[in-house]
Amino acid sequence: MFVLSKADVPRFLAHLAGRYELYGPVLHPESGDTFFDRAADPSAVRLDAPIPTNTPKFTVFPHFERILSYKYDQTTKDVRIIPEELVRPKALVGLRSCDLKGLLCFDRFFLGQEFVDEFYRAHRRKMFLVANTCATPFPQCFCVCTDSGPYAAEGYDVNLTDLGDAYLFETGSDAGRAAAGELGLPAAGPEASRRRDAVVDRSIALFEPRAVENKAWISRAVNRLTTGFVKNETWEYIGQQCFECGACSFVCPSCSCFNIEDVNRVNGTTDRIRTWDSCSFEGYARMAGEHNPRRPVEDRRNKRFFCKLSYSQSKKYLRPGCVGCGRCVRVCPGDIGMANVVTAIRREITGK
Amino acid sequence: MDISRNAAAVSLPVPAVITEIQEEIADVRTYFFRFEDPELERTFAVRSGQFVMCTIFGAGEFAVSLPWSPEGDRRHLSVRNVGKVTSALHALEVGDKIGIRGPFGNGFPFDAIKGRNLIYVAGGIGLIPLRSSIVHALLHRSDFGRIILLYGAKSARELMYRPLIEEWRKREGFETYVTIDRSEPGWNGEVGFVHTLIEKAKVPVTDTVAFVCGPPIMFNAVIGELSARGLKDDCIISTLERHMKCGIGKCQHCAIGRTLVCTDGPVYTFKQIKTLGETI
Repeated sequence: MFVLSKADVPRFLAHLAGRYELYGPVLHPESGDTFFDRAADPSAVRLDAPIPTNTPKFTVFPHFERILSYKYDQTTKDVRIIPEELVRPKALVGLRSCDLKGLLCFDRFFLGQEFVDEFYRAHRRKMFLVANTCATPFPQCFCVCTDSGPYAAEGYDVNLTDLGDAYLFETGSDAGRAAAGELGLPAAGPEASRRRDAVVDRSIALFEPRAVENKAWISRAVNRLTTGFVKNETWEYIGQQCFECGACSFVCPSCSCFNIEDVNRVNGTTDRIRTWDSCSFEGYARMAGEHNPRRPVEDRRNKRFFCKLSYSQSKKYLRPGCVGCGRCVRVCPGDIGMANVVTAIRREITGK
Repeated sequence: MDISRNAAAVSLPVPAVITEIQEEIADVRTYFFRFEDPELERTFAVRSGQFVMCTIFGAGEFAVSLPWSPEGDRRHLSVRNVGKVTSALHALEVGDKIGIRGPFGNGFPFDAIKGRNLIYVAGGIGLIPLRSSIVHALLHRSDFGRIILLYGAKSARELMYRPLIEEWRKREGFETYVTIDRSEPGWNGEVGFVHTLIEKAKVPVTDTVAFVCGPPIMFNAVIGELSARGLKDDCIISTLERHMKCGIGKCQHCAIGRTLVCTDGPVYTFKQIKTLGETI
């Protein structure tokens, strides 16, 4: 454990910017919202900004990505397949622990199953991750109920905790330790971890007044979803509320469904494009010939919550898919973010 | 990206040349192909019941089950012209190239079903994914009890692989029943839906495995009839089709229940299908 004085933060960011493309929480000048974005300049990164509106998942899983291009000559029958060069080392700074957990879900899902997703791996393997302990929860947050915050226990190269006068600089990898060495950071004293724990405990205590409503019922929801005991009426209600806009999927740190399309360009090459997709869209499972096994909206909605909370899906992530960031709560126009779905399931059980 | 030779067919399509095109039925053609890379042509190995992702250059990619048997059959795909990408395939000619990724999926459980009677029940182009399994069963005839094919289509014009079925019919120890929905001039065979053949063929249910593939309505009727006769759910095997984008368990388009058709399937027992809690 090391100490990073607040005056040294710019030096740390510049150190990273010299080695990586730098991404972090950046304030949008017009709306005042925070976005996780490419920092044009290290000084644009705001470690004290609120939780970003978007997730950092686009850095490993872009909204829109060419995964290969090819050229087929109809006359000579010559085909050239050109794999995309995707490797651009990135440093992600100011990662909330929920978003870091989302990335770890991705790692286990894209790299740890029967097949490795080569495109994901190309992005992921040369990354430097700097997590940031959340000292204050935001209104929609419930990471304490999904075991994903406010302190990141694993998966980072560096974790920063704001101790008031300085940041506690914890290293979680060789790359993190090397950075501490290159920056010449002083070692933290024995009281540092106690002070960090105090910050984390204070943050957790701030969750409590909010958690009484429903969020603490997540483990019961996991149980009900896994055993199939959620009533059809509940799914129908959720289905009726759903606008099928896909916003929940797009802001979710662990949603990773994608679509692939081949797009012809004027110069005769074709790009194979992978884009984000959402299981809430009607065409999601539609096959050629118009057969759609998942037409009713409630069939599609329960799919997403099954993916976030069921045990069988948790086996793929080695944790629940929901990381408690609460972004779906904030963006859902139908008011069926995760917290309200858990409430609906709770009402089934308690009757109120 | 460092993609080794074997992994190449997973992430990137490998080019193959169409060597022959056969008209099957209306809108369905069979495309024989060989890989451009002679090494891959020699080594590309599949299991019966698997599928590949087929790229039509300039149009896109689709998932297609494999009709060819790994044992000595020529590689080919039988495809119905039904959407944007398959219609682009139907516009291709001999000498044109396609791209192949795969093979993916689990395949049929031949080791587990040795010694049993095999009942193949297919409707329309549902015979395509069962073809390789039938070829396998005939090559290893002594491994199995009775082998029965019950096959139906809307009309005689919509019966797949008719010359092949005639060949099979002549094989000793292979019982073939073919039906069409309504009688028509020149048809001397059975008339009626395919599940009615189960009675006609006196299908056994002990030590028996049924392979069922066809449109949902036919599937349900056949399952109903087989179950009513006492065939157990885990003795009914089917291969499912879903919209797929990646084939390797990542895009999630083919999710059914807690499984993915691409990596957990496409071959399921009816017992499994029942627990998935989704329409077929």
